[in-house]
Amino acid sequence: MIEVRNVSRSYHRNVDEVHALDDVSVHIDGGHFVAFMGPSGSGKSTLLNLVSGIDRPNSGEVIVAGQRLNDLSEDDLARWRARHVGLIFQFFNLIPVLSARDNVALPLLLTSLKKPERIRRAETALRVVGLDHRMDHTPRTLSGGEQQRVAIARAIVTDPDLIVADEPTGDLDARNAEDILGLLRQLKHDFGKTIVMVTHDPRALRFVDYALHLDKGILLEGEDAERAAEAIRIAAGAHPH
Amino acid sequence: MKFLGLIRANLGRNKLRTVLTGGAIMLAVVLVCLLLTMPAGLDALLSNIASNTRISVHNKGGVVYSLPYSFTRKVRQVDGVAAATATMWFGGAFEEEGRVTFPNFAVEAEHVGAVYPDYKIPAEQLDDFRRYRDGIIVGRQTMRKYGWKIGDRITLRSTVWPVNLDGRIVGEIPNDRSPIVWLNWTFLDEALKARGGTGLGIANVVWVRATDPERVNAIMREIDDMSRNSEAETACETEKSYFANFFGSMKAFLTIILVVTALVALCIVFIAANTASMGVRERSGELAVLKAIGFGRRVIFGTLLAEAVALSSVAGSSGVLLAIGLTHLLKATTGWSPTLGPLGSFIVTGPVIVQGLFLSLFVGMLAGVVPSFGAARKPVVQTLHEVF
Amino acid sequence: MLPLSYSVRNVTARPLRSLMSSSVIALVVVACSLFLGLISSLKRTVASSGDPLNVVVMRKGSDNDGASWLPLAAYQAIRFFDGIARDSADQPLISPELVVQPFFHTPAGGRENVLVRGVEPVALAVHDKVKIVEGRMFTPSSHEAVLGRGIVGRYLGAQLGDDLKFGHGTWKVVGIFDAAGSSFESEVWIDVRELANDAKRPSPFSGARLRAASAADLEPLMRRIDDDPRYALHAQREADYYAKQSESANSLYVLVIGIAVLAGIGAGFGAANAMYAAVQARTAEIGTLRALGFSRGAILLAFQIEAVALASVGFVIGALASLGLSKLLGVLLGGVGFGAATFTTNVVSLRVSSGDLVAALILAVLIGAFGGFGPAWRAARMRPIEALHKA
Repeated sequence: MIEVRNVSRSYHRNVDEVHALDDVSVHIDGGHFVAFMGPSGSGKSTLLNLVSGIDRPNSGEVIVAGQRLNDLSEDDLARWRARHVGLIFQFFNLIPVLSARDNVALPLLLTSLKKPERIRRAETALRVVGLDHRMDHTPRTLSGGEQQRVAIARAIVTDPDLIVADEPTGDLDARNAEDILGLLRQLKHDFGKTIVMVTHDPRALRFVDYALHLDKGILLEGEDAERAAEAIRIAAGAHPH
Repeated sequence: MKFLGLIRANLGRNKLRTVLTGGAIMLAVVLVCLLLTMPAGLDALLSNIASNTRISVHNKGGVVYSLPYSFTRKVRQVDGVAAATATMWFGGAFEEEGRVTFPNFAVEAEHVGAVYPDYKIPAEQLDDFRRYRDGIIVGRQTMRKYGWKIGDRITLRSTVWPVNLDGRIVGEIPNDRSPIVWLNWTFLDEALKARGGTGLGIANVVWVRATDPERVNAIMREIDDMSRNSEAETACETEKSYFANFFGSMKAFLTIILVVTALVALCIVFIAANTASMGVRERSGELAVLKAIGFGRRVIFGTLLAEAVALSSVAGSSGVLLAIGLTHLLKATTGWSPTLGPLGSFIVTGPVIVQGLFLSLFVGMLAGVVPSFGAARKPVVQTLHEVF
Repeated sequence: MLPLSYSVRNVTARPLRSLMSSSVIALVVVACSLFLGLISSLKRTVASSGDPLNVVVMRKGSDNDGASWLPLAAYQAIRFFDGIARDSADQPLISPELVVQPFFHTPAGGRENVLVRGVEPVALAVHDKVKIVEGRMFTPSSHEAVLGRGIVGRYLGAQLGDDLKFGHGTWKVVGIFDAAGSSFESEVWIDVRELANDAKRPSPFSGARLRAASAADLEPLMRRIDDDPRYALHAQREADYYAKQSESANSLYVLVIGIAVLAGIGAGFGAANAMYAAVQARTAEIGTLRALGFSRGAILLAFQIEAVALASVGFVIGALASLGLSKLLGVLLGGVGFGAATFTTNVVSLRVSSGDLVAALILAVLIGAFGGFGPAWRAARMRPIEALHKA
């Protein structure tokens, strides 16, 4: 489903050049719920952006659902994202002036569906995440957990091949975090969605199929990966759920 | 000065916004100055051009009613009259325009110089005007409009008299606001006689110069008394009053101009205030930190206010300069407008400049006060909470 | 495409901030519509003054019927030309007239030149738009007068039943006439020979107005008058005559355009400022929309529409304000006088018409589009990854 081959990405920040990713290769099968983990600056968010088509590598290939992303222009990438990827962000990133329903229906505007159909699908998505009683509310009147649910509904409404989540529980309290992670696992389970998530949250390990560990732009493998996973488990033990 | 550096740094923070705001204020000030030249034009006519020793003698019923030319001689004999000239509307259409585009009158060449010494027409030009029957004297506004020079010949076809004048320009009235053209009384008189008439026996207005401003009222009374029971009863008035009355109907138009000017000025306040409040909103965190460090309310208020004033003053001054430049351009390309009259001279006078600069300063203060006031007064903790 | 509601709701979501920016545009709209209202009122007055079948006869070379004269013999001659309409008594519809501009005094102590037209009773038939609405027409050879509606109350003695003093005499106001908003409404009509006496004119007529029997008769009739070798006359359509008079108002159009351009650009800069701030504040939102897959064109359009919506709010506020302000000014100032330099006062009432508002709307939309373009472009060019990083 996702094939990342020898990908490197660096960019300039003020005067420094930052090597975010260095010759990273990853293979992820369809229908799996995978976490990218690592300390800040490890390159996990950069890898996520490459896989979701928001960013391009300096070298190497990214192939998602059979499409080689390197071949696509800026506008083509946008169109591809609209059809194949659902995005979930740490700060929810809902449009403040639109209702929950309109927020969820937003990606459908990029399809050729007519308005009644768009509304039907948006409402269905909201029902799946358990928010059908809040469809007319604007983000301002929703709690953090509810806003993230709306964001998830938005991410699934186009029935994408891939769902990408960047620190989805980063801005939520423990209870809501668990709910959101559970919802994501349910999506993978009930609908066979491929979900890739960047997270710091040690709780995530209980919900994902497996985790990939990065550090300083390199994918950790073997013993290094084991050590990283162990460190996280210890950290999870230190934090009561 | 450290303070100025701080202001410059803050204004340079968001260069695009500073440029847009400055540009908007500048354009609005240009507009205000241009609009203000209109009432200024009328004021200039009334206070600069009109002399306090000149009197207009005309028929009580109106300028289109006439006085007998012979009356002029009687007027000259009145005590205190230094000089007097009869004038008659010629209504000449400049050949190339086809219609009357500037006021033109027949005047008495021997006397007109003495009635208008303040016009400062060079003596040699007045001599030529006396010497050459077809000589004409042209006001500078009209000279510039058509690019004429002394020595040029122009043809005027009268729309009221069966006479055409092939005139030679012998002199210029050296005043940017003067559009008028003077031709010779004797020319018109003889042209009419040549067509079998009795010559030019009537006048529209007799212009009189008094030796002393104190004598003006007495002169006017005496002339009116002289004409009281005759065929042509006169109503004398000072030159200032004459022009004020003549253009009096434009007062309503001027009021509308001033209303529009005020609206544009208000625009400036809104633009500047909007920008100031945007800036304050974005910097609230910084300001909170400054206050936490210990900078007093007054200092913060002062800094913000100074920024607003600096921006609007610089922009406003540029606007005034631009307005002056634009009016030079307008002067070169337009001339006397029958609709606007003296309102259309578009000359930026001293008072207009002062008003423009004062407006910019005032606007800056007004626009800077409200947001600055709010920012300075907010308690530190509240702002820090809002930001962090 | 992004929904319209996205753009519109962003304008209504922050009412105070939107109001500040729209207010600038509102003020420009008021300034321009007031001025346009004034000029179109002036043009309308002059334009409506010409009857399509009427002909103005003056001395060759005159551009103004106040500065012309018509010899009696000439009048007698053209009276019987073919092509002139006739009334029920088979009399030719030709109105010989004398135009003089005496002083009239305003109650405030001011003085204006007013157009007094000396006419014979046939004038009402020739100028068929002129209708007596109060009182009656003056009796021939009397010292009676009828006033156009624009004159009433503007000068001392200008009321029905009052004594009006001008020239060398006193005239009793016996009637008031309406003239479909044309410049005739700024005139006083009296008997032509009485006026000639008062103004001491040796020949009683300055010109004549005649009515052609049909449109086809206009050209041959005018040519015949022009070509007559005995008298140097010029005939033109009444509509053309007044059109020429209104040309001088064109300098006012230059003024409006100047105001619209200068104030419009300034307001555009103000709108740009507001939109740049909005784009900056909504960077994450824009990044999200781009990440979701909305094209650059969609973002550009959405922000352009938002700017135009902002401008439209400004237009609505400005339009209402200008309608109110023009009424207020109309009450405070009365009519606005034009034409001082041409020896007559044309009284125009300040009125903002729907045409003026349409022009103002176009201006507002242009301001919004022009001011909003830069910020919309910046929003559209944002790369999703930078926008999301800034969050």
